[in-house]
Amino acid sequence: MKSKIIVVLALLGSTALAVANPVQQIHMEWLNIIALAAHQTNYSGTFVHQYGNRLETSNISHIFDQGGERTKLVNQDGSKCEVTSNNSAEWCYPGDKVGQAEQAHDRKAFPVLLPEQLSTLGENYQIHTGETARIAGFDTQVLELRPRDSLRYAHKMWVHIDSGLLLKAAVLSDRQEVVEQYTFIQLKVNSSTKPTKTPLSGISKTTAQPKLPLAQKIVAVADESAWKVDGIPAGFKKIAEIHRFMRGKKNVATQMVFSDGLVGISIFIETRSSNPDSALGLSSQGAIHIYSKLNSDYLVTVVGEVPPSTVLQVANSVRNRGLLSN
Amino acid sequence: MKQNISALMDGELFDEDSEVVLNKLKRNPEAHAEWQVYHLISDALRQPDHVRPDISTSMRERLRDEPIVFAPAVQQKKARWYAVSAAASVMAITLMAWLSLQADSKIQFQVATTQNTMHPASFSAADNLDDYLSAHREFSPSKDVLRMTSHVRTVTRQQTNRIDK
Repeated sequence: MKSKIIVVLALLGSTALAVANPVQQIHMEWLNIIALAAHQTNYSGTFVHQYGNRLETSNISHIFDQGGERTKLVNQDGSKCEVTSNNSAEWCYPGDKVGQAEQAHDRKAFPVLLPEQLSTLGENYQIHTGETARIAGFDTQVLELRPRDSLRYAHKMWVHIDSGLLLKAAVLSDRQEVVEQYTFIQLKVNSSTKPTKTPLSGISKTTAQPKLPLAQKIVAVADESAWKVDGIPAGFKKIAEIHRFMRGKKNVATQMVFSDGLVGISIFIETRSSNPDSALGLSSQGAIHIYSKLNSDYLVTVVGEVPPSTVLQVANSVRNRGLLSN
Repeated sequence: MKQNISALMDGELFDEDSEVVLNKLKRNPEAHAEWQVYHLISDALRQPDHVRPDISTSMRERLRDEPIVFAPAVQQKKARWYAVSAAASVMAITLMAWLSLQADSKIQFQVATTQNTMHPASFSAADNLDDYLSAHREFSPSKDVLRMTSHVRTVTRQQTNRIDK
């Protein structure tokens, strides 16, 4: 019930969108509802994740209360691995209970999409609301985001009509082939917040601090970029450029992040000497592709939820401004 | 041209057309780069854990690993045609490899040497790449609309790492 009210508030609250077309505006509101629901709904369930030739089942529990947001993920296949997140921090507990820490860097406190992000999204994707469908016993609205070029993937989403949760989502190639998808096979949406009775009760709001030092420390936000990237597809805007330490490496890496409102492309640039045994080439996990290449004295790595040709195009276009002017 | 390259890769062109496209590939470095990218993508779509950036490198390695046969092959009339076409293919591939070296000899050479010395074909890069994935995820807008997908990927990623280790 609470989530329904939030949904209505979200519909009423964000009328100042920079989208002229009323139909398109309704589509955009769906995206806001999805973003909000993923943060603020209490739920637990089981989903199946499929990519390439892999198929994996996991359990998820999610709580949102005064203490913020907590999520617990436990895989059901293979050796046990538990991932818990408390607001922006994330811990992984493999079978041997060694805590591995990952400090996420939350960009904003409120999960609703900024109007700026929504308008960027609207420029890059055509949004369609399709039929309704039944997923895991719940009624869903099908939403399709079709890219305006072949440099990004299409996304199909099945949104739970009552809560706004994404019960199923698929990433599609330009040939309409499924690159990656997940679907809930069982789900319980809780209307009230009672953390003590949920599977999350084991996670206190002050989960033990990570045992390992935070390796991925952000050193500084870059003032002016020393790099030029012409191959970024139209519609992607730079949202961050930072200097940071990568795990187990001594030298600072530069990370640039570009967004098209829905997905992102990160470019990492490190000195070659600090990465003597880096993996070069293209690697994939579902819809995420990583491409590493040597660019004179630098190692360039591009990561993004975009097709392989896009990460290749981006990596091949990275140039040092200093070298260009010489 | 893109369509032609794609058709050539899929073996949908007749001999004469193939020749025209191959000739264009030889003359046009951009088209040649396109050809390489198509192969890389085609490899990636088959979903191995890792794909090399440069087919000419892996082709050279494959050739190097081929056993050298000293015994003379049995000569048959039909086999000769195959031999001629195979020789033509090898020449074409060698030419491609040579062209790619000419296009950017310095970088290509660096890629080739590093790969040859450091990584066997079946190496697993998950441990190293995981760091980039986490760093990317911190800022990626996919945490907003696709937040649920992001959660789903997190547990899969941890699981994949454990398998690879």
